[in-house]
Amino acid sequence: MTISRRVFVKAGGLTLVSLGMDPLFLARAAFAARRPGGPSAHSILVCLFQRGAVDGLNMIVPHGEPAYYQERPRIAVPAADVVDLDGHFGLHPSLAPLKELWDNKSLAAIHAIGSPDGTRSHFDAQDYMESGTPGVKSTGDGWMNRYCQHDREHEDTPFRAVAFGPQLPRILAGSAPSLAIDDLQAFGLRVPQEAARDRLTRAFEELYDGAGTGLLASSSREGFEAVQMLKRADPSQYRPAAGVEYPQGRLGKTLLQIAQLIKADVGLEIAFADCSGWDTHVNQGSSEGQLSARLRELGLALAAFNHDLGERMRNVVVLTMSEFGRTIRENGNSGTDHGHATAMLALGGPVNGGRVLGRWPGLSVEQRFEGRDVAVTTDFRDLFGEILARHLGATDLGTVFPGYTPSPAQFLGAIRA
Amino acid sequence: MPLSLIATLCLLTSQAPGPIPTPRDSAFHALNRLAYGARPGEADSVARFGVMRWIERQLDADHVDDSHVAEREREFKILDYNRADLAGRYRDATRERQRLQREAAATGDSTRMRDARPMQEFRELGGELQQLAIVRAALSERQLREVMVDFWTNHFNVFVGKGADRFLLPSYIEETIRPRALGRFEDLVIATAESPAMLFYLDNAQSVAPGSVPPQQRRSLFSLRRRFGMNEMPEQRRQRRPTGINENYARELLELHTLGVDGGYTQQDIIEVARIFTGWSIEPPERGSGFVFRDWAHDRGEKHVFGLTFKDDGKDEGIRLLKSLASEHATMHHVSAKLCARFVADDPPDGCIDAAVAAWQKTGGDIRAVLRAIFTSPDFWSAQAVRSKVKTPFEFVVSAVRATGVEPDDTPRLAQLVARLGEPLYQQPAPTGYAETEAHWVNSGALLARMNAAMGIAKDCSSIPANADHTQLVDMIDQQLLAGTMSAHTKSVILEQLTDVTDPVQARALAVGLALGGPDFQKQ
Repeated sequence: MTISRRVFVKAGGLTLVSLGMDPLFLARAAFAARRPGGPSAHSILVCLFQRGAVDGLNMIVPHGEPAYYQERPRIAVPAADVVDLDGHFGLHPSLAPLKELWDNKSLAAIHAIGSPDGTRSHFDAQDYMESGTPGVKSTGDGWMNRYCQHDREHEDTPFRAVAFGPQLPRILAGSAPSLAIDDLQAFGLRVPQEAARDRLTRAFEELYDGAGTGLLASSSREGFEAVQMLKRADPSQYRPAAGVEYPQGRLGKTLLQIAQLIKADVGLEIAFADCSGWDTHVNQGSSEGQLSARLRELGLALAAFNHDLGERMRNVVVLTMSEFGRTIRENGNSGTDHGHATAMLALGGPVNGGRVLGRWPGLSVEQRFEGRDVAVTTDFRDLFGEILARHLGATDLGTVFPGYTPSPAQFLGAIRA
Repeated sequence: MPLSLIATLCLLTSQAPGPIPTPRDSAFHALNRLAYGARPGEADSVARFGVMRWIERQLDADHVDDSHVAEREREFKILDYNRADLAGRYRDATRERQRLQREAAATGDSTRMRDARPMQEFRELGGELQQLAIVRAALSERQLREVMVDFWTNHFNVFVGKGADRFLLPSYIEETIRPRALGRFEDLVIATAESPAMLFYLDNAQSVAPGSVPPQQRRSLFSLRRRFGMNEMPEQRRQRRPTGINENYARELLELHTLGVDGGYTQQDIIEVARIFTGWSIEPPERGSGFVFRDWAHDRGEKHVFGLTFKDDGKDEGIRLLKSLASEHATMHHVSAKLCARFVADDPPDGCIDAAVAAWQKTGGDIRAVLRAIFTSPDFWSAQAVRSKVKTPFEFVVSAVRATGVEPDDTPRLAQLVARLGEPLYQQPAPTGYAETEAHWVNSGALLARMNAAMGIAKDCSSIPANADHTQLVDMIDQQLLAGTMSAHTKSVILEQLTDVTDPVQARALAVGLALGGPDFQKQ
């Protein structure tokens, strides 16, 4: 690329932009050209963190397990309501919109997954799942950021790793550039009028252009590129694919924006979003109720996302995660307390779907963790590591998960070979 | 050697490639590092007073009059509560929440619980603490002490969002950290070790000798989790009684607070240290939630660590260990290097670290002596150090407020701004605290957020008169905000932007916003 940013700025920007020749456009074209198979051929990972510890047993219901019904007289999902998957497990009825993904083999469930650390504190367990170092509190950065530090193939785009929310979450904290975007439409300088906003943006761009080299200069450049790329993508004009409707609420809005970024071909590789409301200590409900409402929103949002992206889902993996599961036995308040293992969902074209993965430990007392919770048979790092290696092509998992090297022998086969 | 002479020598010997810095440049540098930036005219007044003399006054904080801040502090009701008050209110709020939960379980209606939000008061408390920190940092005349309070609060980090720390944090800051910020390191380590906030945050309150049993089951330590509320239900609590040592505090004490990650200790050392601290716990809220040493929970066996032997000496074992750790060479080096990263450069040269360690050794860890050694080391004044560090979000917001003459109000506005820029105070969950280095704070989204923040703060700028002459306006901004260090490039870009702005007030807002949000003001 020979047109430098300085030339762009000095030439007054607008002329070049009107010709479709701004350097950002060129940068994007260069980005796309590096990848065989067109602009969207690179792999994308979307992670949703179910903060609060989702009840894996009522999300992916072991309806073939009598102990499940014995321990949960008030909150078990009746077998008749469960959307059966394989005769033993089934989806909570609120997740029925995902059944077609199971049928076309692009949805897998992973059961009895969790942390080797036994903590039942949300704070500690979320911290461990995001730092990727269970039991070690002093790890400064998150595992997603460490992946970005070591596999720098995509570093020419500011949109490589994006967290949706006001702040960068722990999982993306670290030295590799990553963006926190609260709202795509409001990303950039907050000036109501477009002309004034553009002008101020150019002014700051020029100020930082004189900052020479260093992190301030390169980061500001990335920021302005992001703003320009978004402007071209024009988030306010985005319409999902025909017939697709995202559910009301934060999650639907977030997944819509992620779909939008993916379609804009701005180089997104990792998207991360929070999805809260899973700490169901009281009145959790069974087929209907509190948890059911949360799962319905999740199921509808994921199904809408899948339809919205359509053909592009062949390069996308969506993964749900949660810090731990909940007690096998319901508590005195028709809810569940903090437990150990939980379930996660993986969906998308690269997923080896139509299967419940992971070794099922069983629910009888002697099979439980500390006599009360679902035992962990899959270390979450084995699943995250497999997705990083086989889907995103990570080459050095040892640095992503220090003190632990997920080995292919431990992989569950969540991603198609 | 008189200090003024040292300063002159330092300035003369600094390897500045350009012109020798003026007293005003030196004053601006000192204000950027020992203070939260210069207020309008302050670089000049400090230069007139004498930079080294000013530094000495800052080190002698108790003799600096600070009545304006004292007056502002009265607005904060949080300073009227002691820990026992807060403990009582927290216990009441926890009970109310439990009552509402039971009610919701019985009626199947959880809307009341959502509406009542019994814990709301404690969420607001955290916000008030943040605002108080900003008011003090912006307005205190004892700037260095405020900088050191921030440094130690971060070094001995406690996360306000973890259970009982919601109400333990105020006394942690007021009683544990603030009085010792310029005292002796050993006293700080001991005070934080004994602080209920740290004991809860790093789980030592639950660390008991294996097999130990409380004398009265009814009022046992084991119900600590219930009293302090860990979002766990009764059934679970009964099953989750502490039955052994918890290594969390021991590990972070060695790795973060004292020796440093390369301090040469082993996992066995961590276990021995954890055994020494068994029994260091917290009173229940109804008794004020203060520190308590529980003899029955203490491991009476022999422990060997760092060449010392501890046996059946109760709480004194821990005190002896902390004193020993505070004077270990690895500790002196670790903490001195961290201080130099704060005051000199992200990757500080050995010279200033060695000077700090030497002062530490000589004075037994007198923090003021260590700081004085750093401020008089040539590295502190070198051309490589001046304006080489990027401000953290907190430093950026507070320095902008100071430079523009904005009086922090009693709204959460500024605290929220700091949070939006990525550094919500007291909300770092990891015991590492927030990072000091540029790499952690500079990224594209964060810079855009700083530009937006700058435009917002510029609107309230009162330190610069509106001026129809744009050249004069930009010169004024350069002097007031940057003590004359604004780059020629920045000046020309701002002037260019002002060409068609006719309204002087609008011109001032735009020019100040660009100056605050531009690259020059990000540096200190």
